This record gives sequence, C-alpha cells and structure tokens, in this order.
Amino acid sequence: MKTSRASIIGGTAAIAATFVVFVIPFLFIILMAFKDRQQSALRDFSWPTGFHLWDNLYEVIKTRNWMMITAFINSSLITVVSVTLLIVFAAMVGFVLARRKTRFNGLIEFLILAGLMIPPAVVPTIWLLQGLKLFGTLHGMILIQVAYNLPFSIILYRAFIATIPRELDEAAVIDGARPFDVFFRVVLPLLWPVTVTNIVVQSVGIFNDFTNPLYYLPGNANATVQLTLYNFQSQFNTAYNLLFTNILLITIPPLIVFMFFNRQIVAGMTAGAVKG
Amino acid sequence: MAGLELKNIQKTYGKVEVIKGVNLTVENGEFVVFVGPSGCGKSTLLRMIAGLEDITAGELYIGDKLCNAVEPRDRSIAMVFQSYALYPHMTVYDNVGFGLKLARTPKDIRDQKIREAARILKMEHLLDRKPGQLSGGQRQRVAIGRAIVRQPEVFLFDEPLSNLDAALRVDTRMEIAKLHADLGATMIYVTHDQVEAMTLADKIVVLDAGVVQQVGSPIELYQRPTNLFVAGFIGSPKMNFVEVTVEAVETDAIVVSSKDVARVRVPANASTAKPGDKLTLGLRPHDLIPAKNGAIVGRVSLVERLGNETIVNLELASGAAWLAVLEGDQALRIGESLALAADPAKAILFDKAGQALLVPLA
Repeated sequence: MKTSRASIIGGTAAIAATFVVFVIPFLFIILMAFKDRQQSALRDFSWPTGFHLWDNLYEVIKTRNWMMITAFINSSLITVVSVTLLIVFAAMVGFVLARRKTRFNGLIEFLILAGLMIPPAVVPTIWLLQGLKLFGTLHGMILIQVAYNLPFSIILYRAFIATIPRELDEAAVIDGARPFDVFFRVVLPLLWPVTVTNIVVQSVGIFNDFTNPLYYLPGNANATVQLTLYNFQSQFNTAYNLLFTNILLITIPPLIVFMFFNRQIVAGMTAGAVKG
Repeated sequence: MAGLELKNIQKTYGKVEVIKGVNLTVENGEFVVFVGPSGCGKSTLLRMIAGLEDITAGELYIGDKLCNAVEPRDRSIAMVFQSYALYPHMTVYDNVGFGLKLARTPKDIRDQKIREAARILKMEHLLDRKPGQLSGGQRQRVAIGRAIVRQPEVFLFDEPLSNLDAALRVDTRMEIAKLHADLGATMIYVTHDQVEAMTLADKIVVLDAGVVQQVGSPIELYQRPTNLFVAGFIGSPKMNFVEVTVEAVETDAIVVSSKDVARVRVPANASTAKPGDKLTLGLRPHDLIPAKNGAIVGRVSLVERLGNETIVNLELASGAAWLAVLEGDQALRIGESLALAADPAKAILFDKAGQALLVPLA
C-alpha cells in the first residue's frame, strides 16, 4: 500500500504534537536541573551557564535534615507493600468471582463498582483512621492505597481469569491440589501478563500519589517523595533549579519500573494448554 | 486396582433431572465405555465418579469404599480430559509430576515414576518441552502420562480422542488399548463415537437422556440390542427400520410383511405378538445382499463408493429411505431399481414400546 502524501503529513504532524506535549517538558526539567538559582528563575530554554547539577542534587537531598532519603524510603515502602497486597488480594477475589457462582456475586460486583465510581470522602476516612489508631502511620497509608486501588485490580483480574479454562482447575484438583494450591500454583502463574500490567500501573500511580499522603500521612518523618516538592516552593521565593532537580529525582523510580517490566509483558501464555 | 459400584445414582440440576437412577457394576480391570448421544449424561456420570460433581442421590463405591463425600484426590482416580488440560507454564516433566509434588513425594521417587511413565508412552524426548511446543497427539500422551503416574485404581477418560484428527485417532486408540493390556487397570471411557466403543470396550453402557439403555459386551450389543435406541445407535451406518404388520405368529418366529418388505419369517420371541400388530423391523445395512428376487426392492437415490464397499441409499416403495452396504465396488446408477435380500435370522423385530423381541438364548 503506497503511503499517500496525506498520511505522511498527518503522521509527521502527530509525531510533532506528541513531541511537544511529552518530550519538551521533560527536556525542560533536565535543562533546569543543570542551572543555578538565578538562571533558573528566568524559566526559559536558555542553555545553562555552568554545570550545577551536582550542587543542586546535594542541596536537594540535604534539605530539611536529609528529608529526601526518608521520603524515598517511605514512598518505596508504601508502593512495594501496597502493590504486593493489591496483586494477591485482587487476584484472589477475581478468582472466586470468576469461578464460583453464588447469589452474593451481584452484591459483590455492585460493591466493587461503587468503590470504583464513588470518590472517597476524606474527613470521614480520617476520622475512621484516627479511631483505628492508623492515622499518620505508614501501615494506615498502605491500607488506604490498597482499598482505593482494589476495585480496578479486581475487575482486571476477573476478566482475565475467565479466559483460563476450568479444566485446568479440575485437573489440578484431581492431581490433589487444595484451593490454595490451585490458586498459587496453577492460576496465578498464568496471570503473569495481567500481574505485570497491574504492577506497572499501580506502582506508578501509588508512587506519584500526592493528595493521599497529604491527607493521611502528615508529618516530616512521614514524608513521601511527592511532598518534598513543597520544600522548594513558597509564595514569594521559589528555587526553580532545586525544584526541578527534585522533580527529576522522583521521576526516575517509576521510569525504571516501567522500563524493567515493559519487557515482561508477554501475551498468549495459555497457548498450548487447551486445544482449539 | 479395584472395581466400581454405582447404586441408583441420580443427578438433578435444580429441577432438571439429568441422571435418572443408574445402576452399574464395573469389575476390577474392566474397560467400560459410556456411550450415547450428546446430552445423554455420560460426561456428567463420569464427573460424578471423579468427584467433580456432587451426587444428588445414590451411592458410589470405588473399591469397597463409599466415595460420595470423598474428595477427588482421595478417590484414587485419575482423569484424562478431552482438551488435555495441561498446565501451560510447566514443562512436560513438571506437568506429569505435579500430583506427586503436591503429595510431597521424595524427589528421587518422583523422578523415577515420571521417567517410567515417559518410557511407557515413548515421550522421554519431550520431557523438557512446554505444552505449547507439542502436537495434539503428544499433548494427549502427556495427559495420559499424568494419569498413569498417579497409579490410580480407576482411570477416567472424557472423550480423549475427540480433538485429534482421524489418522491420529486410530493410532491413539490402539495405544490406549495397549495401555489397558499392559497395566490391567480399570478404565472408564466416555465417548460419543461408537467405533471407539466397539473396539476398546470389554463392556459398553449405552445411555440416553440419563437412563441406561443397555449394558453388555460390544458384540452382544451389536447382535442382540434390547431396544430401538441401542439398535439404532450401535453399528455404522445405522440400522434400517421399517414398520411391518404381523401376518402370523409361530412358536419361535413371527411372520411379517409391509408395503416395502415381502412376507418374511423372522425368528423372534413371539409370546406377546398377535396377528395385525404393528411392529418395527430392523435390518443392518451390512446384512443386505443384492438378490434378483429379494424381499426388499427400492430405487437407488445415492451411491457412495469407498473402494472396498459401496454404500447405497435406496428409496423404498413407501418412500422410506434405507441404506445398504454392498461388498466390493458396485457400479450402480441413480434411479436404478435394486432388489436386496437378507438372512431373516439377522433381522430384529421391535414392539410398539421399542423393546426388541429377541429369541431367548438357549
């Protein structure tokens, strides 16, 4: 099929638009991270006068008693534990929903949909957390993240588990597998593509989450990486070079997650299990 | 190894009764085939024996153990599925050994058993492959290997050859027969293909709509079907049927005739027949021989030449369509008139209720 002129022009225009929207801001961030305070206040695309990257990095990490390091630890902990719990619980719920037909299925599905659609009310949630003595604690934050992201994960898993033939479960049962064996040894390994997608989506989302730690995890010791951005912004005095260095630093982990897991997403894992 | 006993097994899904009281005894080492049309309940019966479905009423004994409430893994059974159901993320070695791993069998014993099963099924070279890299026949062998390694008391096969192509089906059928001869295990096999049933079974159980129609050896079912359904199901092509009227009744024979069939004396159980009764006469296509003055005359409507035999579709005088299988290659023209004869002893008469009026065995 010959590429017509219209499609070449259209394609080029699309690439140009994508470049402007996605790549240019990122280049701007990198450029700003190299500047000193005065030049960064200009907020333009001028080439940095000197190489200030290391100074900026040191300054950012040292601020407020090495808050950056605490923040990284907190964020990573919350992300890793939340995502692990999410994967395991969502897969379990999806498994039972897809396999067992009970009269509660409708109610459970309604609850999941409600969790997806209804925005969480912050003040009552804080009141609940305070009552449970979970407010301002890392494990409270983890539970919040799991609760907020569970509906999406369950729906994802349920749809995919429905594509795994029931005969595999039955063959495992006859081989002597108990329900947990069927789940962990047969079904979950086959869900690896879904699990990877879920890990990437959820960990980026939780790591980049600004508002939830702001509400439920106050305090310097509890800072997450997104909150450190406010170290460098105030009403009158913003150190743009430090701000953008901070942004650069906190962009790196999700980028690594994405690049690592991108290769793991493999389709068609059940090809060959069942004929036809 | 052990036999099975089914005592008045029933299965209901809500209000629908799918299995309506099945009684069956399977001897130790027997190869029993459940055969019947789609929806007759044969797979449901097999799954109840396996423990994958609950038994609504009745008792199931495997060996001498009442197994109604026993988990599938404790019933000492192994099942081969129609769609193989191999674990796609594991190698053939792990697939075959999965059950043993769950039972926490020591690694060296597990390895020995897996390799022994692989040797029996000639698949040692496949052990490191994943199911996705195997052909259909190879996958089926792995599924059978997975069953063998459990050393169960009863093997259950759920239409295992349905997904294979015709040539492979014949080969795998012979392998299963050989396996039965080698292992001497009790095997229960479900199929809708009556050729598989006839060739593999020691005993065939014909099912229709959840009711056992007849139980017997393949030849018994072929030569002495007890009702219309079994007569029409066993034997390919299907038995020909025509409605006839009783002309005369003798001690061990009934004389019948109809528009299509000239007067013929059929050996039968004549105890309930009266002249004027309407009966059904059944004759197998293979029993019809061309004869100049044959009792059955019809017009050829279709000729299928298979090389070693010819299948002829006949239209009889009353409009009924009959099939005849003639030996050798017969060059017949469509529209030609053909007269056929058959040995009356091969004919079977059925009463109004569909029950066969068979001559009692001596």
